[in-house]
Amino acid sequence: MKFIKKSQALALLAVGAMSTSALAVEEGEQAPVFDLPSIYADQAAISTASLEGKTVYVDFWASWCAPCLTSLPLYNDLYHKYKDQGLEIVAINVDNPIEDGLDFLEDTPLDFLIPADPDGEAAELFEVIGMPTSYLIEPDGTVTLVHMGFRSGDIEIIEEAIQASLAAN
Amino acid sequence: MRALRTVLLLALSALLLNACMEVRAWERGYLARDEMAWDPDVLESALNDHIFFSKEASSGGNSAAGGGCGCN
Repeated sequence: MKFIKKSQALALLAVGAMSTSALAVEEGEQAPVFDLPSIYADQAAISTASLEGKTVYVDFWASWCAPCLTSLPLYNDLYHKYKDQGLEIVAINVDNPIEDGLDFLEDTPLDFLIPADPDGEAAELFEVIGMPTSYLIEPDGTVTLVHMGFRSGDIEIIEEAIQASLAAN
Repeated sequence: MRALRTVLLLALSALLLNACMEVRAWERGYLARDEMAWDPDVLESALNDHIFFSKEASSGGNSAAGGGCGCN
């Protein structure tokens, strides 16, 4: 009986050790630093360093995520509206294989930066807990908005946050 | 003998850890693939369901689409 208890305790400990994971990035925290290749073979890599001094909207998306696909053309409109004021949109694709993401982009061309993260390295850094999740990052690296999911009316909330950020910087 | 049993139990407990593997948000694409569906052929299973509830005069309780309104 005793050894059963011992082994159960050990198993519980092991489970506990496996389930501890870092906490998700929240508003007010510093955004993690990432460096990812572009999904397009002929474009340069995208890193936090190359986006310094800009208001950056980072979005995690995949071709199998329906709300993501709804949001992306709307982000494209936002990008064109605010890029002259210093907005950069980085839509990190987590498709594996990346061809799934490229198939979507073929039908829906998007003009902002699209890094490929098939192994979820950046998603792990941001501790993304749902798809899509997006982050509004100030020029100083502070996250001011974390937005999960995408429903009708959400684009207005996001646009307001972007406007506020651009006005403040 | 007792040590062997302990080791065996530990090994079995370790096997249970397989169930603790977490599918992260960005990995759910694997679950969305066709081969991960319960039914290999959606059309065929819908037809089977249709035959079943026609014969049994019962509907619902399976994975076929429908709100249970009895209007199909």
